[in-house]
Amino acid sequence: MFKHLFKLIWNKKKQNFLLMSEMLFSFLVLFAVFTLLVYYYDNYKKPMGFEYQNVWVISYNNAYQTKSTDSLNTYYEILRQNIKAMPEVRELSFCSFNTPFTNNMSQGRISYHKKPLDHVNFYTADESFPATMNMQILEGRWFNKTDVATKNKPIVINSDIKEQLFGKGAAVGQLISNYDEKEKMRVIGVVQSIKMKGDYAATGYGLYQKTDTGSLRWMGKIMVQVVPGASAAFEGHLYKTLANYMKNSNVEIEHLTNKRTSINYFTLVPMIVLSIVGGFLAINVALGLFGVLWYNINQRRGEIGLRRAVGASGGAVSSQLIYESMILATLSLIVGSFFAVQFPLLNVFDLSAGIYISAMLLAITFIYALVFLCSLYPGRQAAAIYPAVALHEE
Amino acid sequence: MIRLQNIEKVYRTDTIETLALNSISLDVAKGEFLSIMGPSGCGKSTLLNIMGLLDTPSKGDIKISDQKTDHLSDKQLAQFRNQKLGFIFQSYHLINDLQVLDNVELPLLYRNTTAKERKMLATEALEKVGLSNRIKHFPTQLSGGQRQRVAIARAIVGRPEIILADEPTGNLDSAMGNEIMDILINLNRNEGTTIIMVTHDENMAHKTHRLVRLFDGSQVQ
Repeated sequence: MFKHLFKLIWNKKKQNFLLMSEMLFSFLVLFAVFTLLVYYYDNYKKPMGFEYQNVWVISYNNAYQTKSTDSLNTYYEILRQNIKAMPEVRELSFCSFNTPFTNNMSQGRISYHKKPLDHVNFYTADESFPATMNMQILEGRWFNKTDVATKNKPIVINSDIKEQLFGKGAAVGQLISNYDEKEKMRVIGVVQSIKMKGDYAATGYGLYQKTDTGSLRWMGKIMVQVVPGASAAFEGHLYKTLANYMKNSNVEIEHLTNKRTSINYFTLVPMIVLSIVGGFLAINVALGLFGVLWYNINQRRGEIGLRRAVGASGGAVSSQLIYESMILATLSLIVGSFFAVQFPLLNVFDLSAGIYISAMLLAITFIYALVFLCSLYPGRQAAAIYPAVALHEE
Repeated sequence: MIRLQNIEKVYRTDTIETLALNSISLDVAKGEFLSIMGPSGCGKSTLLNIMGLLDTPSKGDIKISDQKTDHLSDKQLAQFRNQKLGFIFQSYHLINDLQVLDNVELPLLYRNTTAKERKMLATEALEKVGLSNRIKHFPTQLSGGQRQRVAIARAIVGRPEIILADEPTGNLDSAMGNEIMDILINLNRNEGTTIIMVTHDENMAHKTHRLVRLFDGSQVQ
């Protein structure tokens, strides 16, 4: 029967072309939607890598102008001690502007044995950064006082870089070059990769550099870990302390929990838009398919009557129409899968093959389910055609 | 072979009741070639559809091969038609998107047969109607007479005991019509197939063993 139906479809390929094109196009759009959804879900499942609850971000602009680096360091050290002395504060860290859950970034290239690695995020942070963020150190150590005067600049890399450059081998002690390969940086530790851009974003490559005496001139963020349940009154008190100390500076305190919610919404927008477009397209395909099958049945009443006369039961006629639709879908999906499989093969967008394959399987399942559901009712209608009437009409 | 007893068929709409067949009783013996004649709208095709189990009577009993058919399910009826009956229609009812061989194989698809068996039986049937050289053609590439011969091959491929032909020569000129009639007569004589044929053509009807005439849904001869 399969061969018979395949012949029937093949011989009517011109009539079926539009329907198959519609299925193919829908598959490709659904593949894109599912790729995005699977990518987001895959990221969502991974741990955040740090604790954002009870961490506040203080933004300030550097109003204290002095040519003396020592004075500047003293100025900020006093500020650090003042904040640290507050009972609600557990830890704090001065760091670069690319703090978690913002769109700020500082990216560049590094290389190891002439093998370049692009899109590396550079972060600058002081010695208390891991304690403030509750980050996990997987190998080696974080920065300390001994890192001030070393031949090669000490750096800490995240586990994504480690995996990419060193695989399962040890990273600590290895020398990595900067973008122009003029400066060598020594890896002193590996930290767990953290999701800086929210729950749905990938961790990405992260490289941490220690703040030096000149860093405070351009840095403008302080991460503060507070005790759970730190009150708004304390926040007001902290703000006043900072505003009084840093005269003429714009001080802003934000909670990482709020920033996380905000960036998650921002990330979800394209996914929601694409899902809505995909949903409308699926409805459109369903209606189109339904209409075409309905039309086909009316066009094929004579054939259906004949099949009933020569021995097909109502169920057999109904099944035949469903099988025909499924074969049409299969032909479209074979063509669509050929295009879709190029994405993992060519490593498009640098996503893992597993994401593309999962998205392909989901899109295929969705199309089959859609086609099956849309064929059910027309199939039942076809089964209800009275053979004597259908044969007489012809 | 076929026994109809007091068959009545009434078509009902919201406002009108039409009596298409009125108390028809008919016995068709095994190996008989029977023709049914009558003016348009007298109920010939309705009677043929009822005998072919494509339609159900409003009243009366049908027995085919000593088997009552009124209690059969849709699936059993389909199987019964497939095993015992062959159909030939005035407008051939060939599937234009399938080649001649595939059209002839059609009834065998609803039986437990292998592709090889189907091909062999269909080729054999096409040889009987003189079309073994046209198996790869599509119906639209054939003349009217050739199409009807394909339809006859399809009707006999499953070796049914009964063939029901609804004006098989109605769309053909007299020469082609005679050709088709000769094939049917040979089938009846050589294979012993029971044939019931609806026709408008007196000449064709007189070539059969018996003639039944209908008028306004009633049997008049």
